[in-house]
Amino acid sequence: MRRMWEVHRHEFVLAALLAGLLVGAGILDPLFVAGATQLKLSENIWEMAILALPMTLIIITGGIDLSVGSTMALATVAFGLGVKAGVPFWGAAVVALVVAGGAGWANGWLVTRLRVHPLLITLASLAAYRGLAEGLSRGQPVTPLPAMFCRLAGVVSGVPLPALYFAVLVVIAGLFLHRTPHGRFLRAMGYQERAAVFSGIPVARLRTILHAMAGLMAGFAALIYAARRNTANPEAGLGIELDVISAVVVGGTDIMGGSGSMLGTLLGVLLIHEAREFVNWRWSSAELNMVVIGALLIFSVIAHRLLAPRGRG
Amino acid sequence: MFIRLQNLSRRFGGVQALRGVSLDLDVGEIHALCGENGAGKSTLIKILCGIVVPDEGSMLVGGVPLAAGDVQARARAGVAVIHQESAAFPDLDAVDNIYVGRELRSRFFGLDRREMERRTRGLLERLGEDFDPRVPLSRRTVAQRQMVALARALSCECRFLIMDEPTAALSRRETETLFRIVGQLRADGVGILYVSHRMEEIYQLADRITVLRDGQFVCTDTPAALPRRMLIQRMVGRDAGERERAPARVEGPGATVLRVRGLTGERFRDVTLDIREGEIVGLAGLVGAGRSEVARAIFGVDPWLAGGVEVAGMPLWPGDVQAAIRAGVALVPEDRQHEGLVLAMTIGENITLAILDTLVSGPFLAGAPEDAAAREMIRQLGIKAPGPGLPAHALSGGNQQKVVLAKWLAARPRVLILDEPTKGVDVGAKAEVYRLVRELAAKGMGVLMISSDLPEVLQLSDRILVMSEGRLRGELPGATATQEEVLALALPDAMGVGHA
Repeated sequence: MRRMWEVHRHEFVLAALLAGLLVGAGILDPLFVAGATQLKLSENIWEMAILALPMTLIIITGGIDLSVGSTMALATVAFGLGVKAGVPFWGAAVVALVVAGGAGWANGWLVTRLRVHPLLITLASLAAYRGLAEGLSRGQPVTPLPAMFCRLAGVVSGVPLPALYFAVLVVIAGLFLHRTPHGRFLRAMGYQERAAVFSGIPVARLRTILHAMAGLMAGFAALIYAARRNTANPEAGLGIELDVISAVVVGGTDIMGGSGSMLGTLLGVLLIHEAREFVNWRWSSAELNMVVIGALLIFSVIAHRLLAPRGRG
Repeated sequence: MFIRLQNLSRRFGGVQALRGVSLDLDVGEIHALCGENGAGKSTLIKILCGIVVPDEGSMLVGGVPLAAGDVQARARAGVAVIHQESAAFPDLDAVDNIYVGRELRSRFFGLDRREMERRTRGLLERLGEDFDPRVPLSRRTVAQRQMVALARALSCECRFLIMDEPTAALSRRETETLFRIVGQLRADGVGILYVSHRMEEIYQLADRITVLRDGQFVCTDTPAALPRRMLIQRMVGRDAGERERAPARVEGPGATVLRVRGLTGERFRDVTLDIREGEIVGLAGLVGAGRSEVARAIFGVDPWLAGGVEVAGMPLWPGDVQAAIRAGVALVPEDRQHEGLVLAMTIGENITLAILDTLVSGPFLAGAPEDAAAREMIRQLGIKAPGPGLPAHALSGGNQQKVVLAKWLAARPRVLILDEPTKGVDVGAKAEVYRLVRELAAKGMGVLMISSDLPEVLQLSDRILVMSEGRLRGELPGATATQEEVLALALPDAMGVGHA
């Protein structure tokens, strides 16, 4: 138990904070914590949750990807155009995933080839992909979408299907990070890239693959987004990258690279989601919302500092 | 007494780095600080500099107690430091590095850049250097950076100078210049605390020698009262035995494991060499001769432009580290803090980093074999650590080097390339590294050892290759070569051997 606490302090604090938030919210407004309410509100979490998985891996290597929201838009538009052209929805979905994966791969290729910080490359593609999406769609959403397709993001016997997809993905991502050699390699890259290169870790290849995976997940999130709203809108994923990065950092992943956990990210996503939805629910104020996320971030950084094992660095 | 250290103690996690050490340091003398890695030298120096706060004890300068951890107060009291790997701003030039934090002001607000530049040139001249002080340090050699650090200390008009392994990266000529300056400083009444693993230097320079062992004070004595053998004995706490020449090898040479043909890169040309199984080949030369560059090219972290490399008959591709490792090449790099180790990860994680792909069951890491592999290497190399779970940065230099060695030995290489394997490593650990290298060669590994420590090269090598200015200049048999012969090949000929 003591060892559990030693290794997972940050996660314990996040879990306590989440529990405290839900209890407090429940006292202020019991309706908020009712199952039906939570189920309804959960619609807003899935894109952020799915994108947080590859983002955690990328930040652990010391990188970042700002373009995931724009990649979502690009994938949504690709899907919408496909459907409009009469392609069956699964065909359009495959096209959307290929486009998104390709967009992510291009990020990774540029980052490793030009040896520039991913912040610069993905800041550029944040603008470029969004522009491309707006241009290709002329700003027009495609709606309605095939009913079969929309059902894929529906609720089956009380369980939202996106929750199932996410559950599978988070388990895979967690096992990859914490239980495979490659997860260890990512941490080594984040802590000391030179040493990783000198240990024979294929640093450039891994970086490219991670960005491609981020793109692919953005494509997947785009499909869920479209199915949920029955519309393929080029506005998809606008500004989501900051929510995603916030969730990962609140979850305890070191923005400088090296350390982080999938459990932490999961809790970070839940915490940001619940805090935001409660503020919306009670005060319906977007401004207050931003303040809450900011406060959570600062809190997380302080908690991380205070709880970090001593004598490091 | 200028500096008085009283009863200093400091603990790092489970390691008691310093235990009640008291020491008096005076101006106008050179005081050598000796001890094995892990003896507490680095901790003592960090406390002196104010980087580390002691758990107990105090520090008085000129009779006035200094607040622990106050770096600025030490500068004001006239105490300056030159670090092992000189901490500088690589993107700034020599002038900025020397005057950072205490820039000269011109009459109107701005900085008096011209005056700072003039003084910098003066300082560098005093040190026997005449390079352009306006070029960023990242484009200077390690030795020149060291000179800039020394110039900074000189410019402070300091009264006490701490030098931590100042010659580790210097060539012989640069070392001589450094010694001249150090002697001059002493004559000017500056006190110097000098840390070095090189015995010759200590006996050449020191007025007094203090020995630390396992974080404790052992003795302070004059060099005359503490002859070499006794000093080593005090440092290791046992009789380590002095250097002896390796016995000439009896058995015949094995098959060629490493074949390098006409290898050419940006900093070296037309390098051709063979290494056979069980052979230790020394690669000697001055710092900057291109030795490390050749090693990095063979290992694949740098590409090469022309030529070829074969390992056990298998050709390697330029710039492909993974292929080189699969073929059986291992490189223990010179910069162990940045290239050899991931300092923030544990000893165990570092040891298994290069063989992690083999420690799996299905796609997942198999915990038990990994732990066993790490423990086995810790035992084999005698790494002083409570277990594989300790972070690598908690270890002393010599033990860190053993972890890097362990990482590559675990990969069972055919060819082991060592780049300055005993740099910053103490006598006891050095002897262990030598023993290990001999054992590995005896088991059939081909070893290529780059070293600037000539006695070390002579002692270990079966053959000695000498590089100068990016080219191989010659080969000497290890059994009979002398320092003079190696140096004669290593020193760039003023008449230009390369152009003959």
